[in-house]
Parts: sequence; structure tokens; C-alpha cells
Amino acid sequence: MPAILETRRLSRAFGALRAVSDVDLAVEPGELRAIIGPNGAGKTTLFHLISGVLPPTAGQVLFRSADITALAAPARCRSGMSRTFQITSLFPELSVVENVRMAIQLKSGGNYRLVGGGRRLTETERQARSALGFLRLDDRAGLPAAALAHGDQRLLEIAMALAQGPDLLLLDEPTQGLSSEETAATVDVIREIARERELTILLVEHDMDVVFNLAHRVTVLQFGQVIADGSPAEVRANAEVQKAYLGALA
Amino acid sequence: MVEERVRLCRHAQFVETIDRSALDCFTNSPSVGGVGGHYGRVRAPLGAPDVMVTPLRRALPWLVVLVFAGLPWALARYQLSILTDLMIYGLFALSLDLIMGYTGMVSFGHAAYFGLGAYTSALLLLDSAVPVPVAMVAGALVAALIAWPVGYLSTRATGIYFAMLTLAFAQLLYTVAYKWRSLTGGSDGITGVPKTALWPSGPSLATPRAYYWLVLGTFVIAFLICRAVVRSPFGRALVAIRENERKFLTLGRDPRGFKLCVFVISAAFAGLAGSLFAPFRGFASPEVMFWVLSGQVLMMVIVGGIGTLIGPAIGAGVFILIQEILSSYTEHWMIFTGAIFVVMVIFLPGGIVGTLRRVAESRAA
Repeated sequence: MPAILETRRLSRAFGALRAVSDVDLAVEPGELRAIIGPNGAGKTTLFHLISGVLPPTAGQVLFRSADITALAAPARCRSGMSRTFQITSLFPELSVVENVRMAIQLKSGGNYRLVGGGRRLTETERQARSALGFLRLDDRAGLPAAALAHGDQRLLEIAMALAQGPDLLLLDEPTQGLSSEETAATVDVIREIARERELTILLVEHDMDVVFNLAHRVTVLQFGQVIADGSPAEVRANAEVQKAYLGALA
Repeated sequence: MVEERVRLCRHAQFVETIDRSALDCFTNSPSVGGVGGHYGRVRAPLGAPDVMVTPLRRALPWLVVLVFAGLPWALARYQLSILTDLMIYGLFALSLDLIMGYTGMVSFGHAAYFGLGAYTSALLLLDSAVPVPVAMVAGALVAALIAWPVGYLSTRATGIYFAMLTLAFAQLLYTVAYKWRSLTGGSDGITGVPKTALWPSGPSLATPRAYYWLVLGTFVIAFLICRAVVRSPFGRALVAIRENERKFLTLGRDPRGFKLCVFVISAAFAGLAGSLFAPFRGFASPEVMFWVLSGQVLMMVIVGGIGTLIGPAIGAGVFILIQEILSSYTEHWMIFTGAIFVVMVIFLPGGIVGTLRRVAESRAA
């Protein structure tokens, strides 16, 4: 099966720093792929390059075999990839349901309805509420997003991405700053998403337990380069990975 | 409380100004409770059902309009002229709120579009004696037409850079108005602008009452249109841009198109206000495009309540009334108006309307 997402010698330099360097990645449809690596390995930069938040300095990004390197972030999102951010990114003063509704509206159109559009608002709000129900946030739908607990804010961001009905979901450290209970709950949610929706998930993660629990396949980055790529068991057994990453933790 | 005051002061000083896009390469988007927070918890979150809507509340705005429509019979000629002035500035302030309050774009040059409307209507009325509504439509269209390229260029920037660009373009237009003597009359401006008729050989608008009703009618219609815009899917998107532009971008739309669109709409309503101003005062001069007026309309929006639509109109009223009253007592009135606005900004976070809503909410809770 052809890869849904592919990067070819993808690179990004910040001055002399090569944050991402010649990364080749191929993610199969339906796969749950984790990208791990020590701090500063270039994981988030790689995410920015894939989602179009940052332009690469060299290399290509292919989505469903089409070269999307020249597409800006909004067009990439519309083509079927939705992402979350490492540092929670919401519309803080808007209600929880309006955050999700806005995600749906922006993806599905009708954004330039200058007057009226009441039916469109009602319809997207109904969809938003059902998306919130899936992540069990529906009881807090009316609260401002900023009033949610940190863990719920992270869930809300996933809900927003998921409500867009993407083919590829990019999650940047979804368990960042969560307690161990919250982390476990989030892992369950991600597994549930992977099982119930036909989508591909690309996950940047710091927490090794999360990665080895969830991922079908793991890619390890160090100094912006891929140093290993394989099943969780293979990666765990890889000597170079142990030295670079797991060793650093121990 | 104190924190909220600090936030508002900050807002008044436009510290929300760092060009975030410049930092985008290295940082993630603003975290929750950060940048968006300094509007205070003034507005009810969108999407929440309004439980307070009673028949009386629904009827109240229309009763207010009815009272205003009847005021010409109760007021002296001079008072009516202040009220007319007040509503023209109210419309101007309301137009700025669309971009400033709802979209989070602070413009330092909004007087340019007011002035474009004023000059357009002044020239048309003086040279061709068209009916006033024709001059109004023309004023709004010319303002929108000029705002298009200005907005296209300005909305490439954000925060203080956007504000500086709008100021620069406004001063440029001011200079044109000042120097293009053959068209604009230079520093003397255009005088003797007549209040013509409502339509060709229709009722005359030359009486204070007739002109007042025209302004009132225009204000009400403009308000209803603006309110429909902010409640539409487009309006909701504007608020989302204000809240978190980077997130907006990654959710699938380029915010610049929305910002340009609302900038042009806002300029059109500012032009509409200006096109009412010229025949009312009988003149258009370069002062109506000067940065001082841009600063005053910013104050009106902040004092009245940013992002509340009716608040800026009320702010304009308060601004004009304070000026009128104080200037009849002392020639140093500007010192006192300045002091009053400083106090209001510090002690009424969210402006007059924001404060009233907060009081109402805490009573209800």
C-alpha cells in the first residue's frame, strides 16, 4: 500500500542549526506512528514542516502521493490533515463547543457568509456537540475554553482536530504536562480514536510508556536525523537508540 | 480584579503588539489565558444560550429608538445638533469596533476613511447637488475602494506593525487632502456643503429635525447590519482570529482574507459616517483625516466597551458630551477630559458596557 504521508530528505535549518536534517519518513494508511527523541531532536520542527507551519529549507512532503511542499498550512489542513500543538493552542475566551464548532466551520466552508447563516451555525454546533461527546467533554460545552483544567484543554484540542474528520491526525505530545491518571486516560482516548476512526495518527511523544503502549511503529530522531525506525520491540532493542535516548533517561 | 485592570491598561497602550508571526519559527502559539485574556471576562462565551431574553429585553432597544426618534420635539435646536453629531461619531466608533473589538486589529488611521467619506459627499453635494443618500453611498464606496489596497498591504502585518501601517497610510491620505488644492481646497477645505433632499425633488433635509432623523435612521440600519455581520459565520471567524490567529491558520483558513474583508467593511461604515458629517457641518477639511481624530475614535471605542458594538457608540456619546460640557466652563477642558478618560480606563475595565454587563452578571449569579 502506498504511504499516506511521505517525507523526502526533508530539512530545516535555523541559521547554522540543522533542526531537521534529511528526514525520510513513510507512514502507511491506518498506521499509528510515534516519533520520539531527546529534547531538541527536531520532533516539533518536523511536525511544523509536515503541517506547513514552517517552510522547509530543503526536501519534500508528500500527502497521498501528491507533493504538498508548496502548500501553506491552511491548504494542507483542508486536504485532510489536522494537528494539535505541544503547547495547548485554543481560542481561550470562546466556549468549549465554539472552539470545536469553529474547527468544523473552518474546514467545511461557508466562512464568508457575512449575514445570516443561522442554519449553518446550528448544524455545525450540533456536529461539535457530538464530537465533544466522544471525548466526554460535553458536560462542559458552555464554559470558556480557558476555564477548563489543563488536561481537559489538551483533550479539547484533540477534539477540535478530530472534529475536522482528518485522514491524518498529527498529535504533538498530547500527554505533555498531564498527571499519570490523565496520561492513562489520554492513551485510552487515542487508542479508541485509532480503533474507531479510519485514520492515520502521527504522534510526537516524550513519555516512553505511552509510545510503546500505542505505536505500531516508532521513528527515533536525534540531532534532526532519523537514527532508527521500526516496531516498538526493534527500537527498544536498538543499541544506538539505547545509547542516544533511553540511556540518557536511565 | 487588579489583574484585569492591568490587562485593560495594557490594552489601552496597545502592548499586544509584538509581531507574533516573527516568533512563529521558534515558539508555539500563545498558550491559553495568555494573549487572549486581556479582554477580561466581559462577554458571555459565544454559543452559550442567552437565558436572559425576556419580552421586555427584546423590546427595549426598539423603545430606545422610538424615544430617540421623538427627541426632536423635546430638545432645543442646539441640543439636537449635539445629538446628531454624537450619532455620527457613534457610527464612526461602531465601524472601528468591527476590526478592533471583534478581530483584534488596532487601527491608528481610521479617520482616513471617515475623511474620504466626508470629502466624497462634500464634493458630490456641492458640485452636483445629488440627494444626500446618493452622497452617502458614494462616500462609503470610495472609502471601501481606498481601504482595499491599504488593507491588503496592512493586513500582511500584525499588532503594532499593522497599527503603524494604518497610521502611515492615513497620514499619506491626509497629506493628499492637504496638498491637492484644486480638488480639496487645501487647508481651507470645502465649505458651503448643502444638505440636499432625500431623493430628487423629494423632501428637504435642510431642517435640523429632518437631518437628525436621517442620521438616526442610518445609524440604526448600520448597527443592525454590523450586528448581523458579527453574528454570522464570518463574524464568528473574526473573533476566532482575535483569539488565536496561529490556531486559526492551522484549522484550514488563511486569516488574511477575513481581515481584509472586515477592514473594507469597517472602512465603508466609517466612510458612511463621514459622508453624513460633511453636509451636517457644511464643510470637509483636512482635520477630518488627521491622526488626532483616529486617536479620539480609539478612545471612544475603549471608553464605551471594546467588542460590544453598541458600547463604542455610547463611548462616542460620552466623549462628545464631556467635551461639550467642559468646554463651556474652561478653555483648559482638554486637561480634564484627559484625566476623566484615564480614570475611566483604569476603573471601568471593559468600558462602560463591559462594566454594566459584569455588574448585571454578578447580580444574576
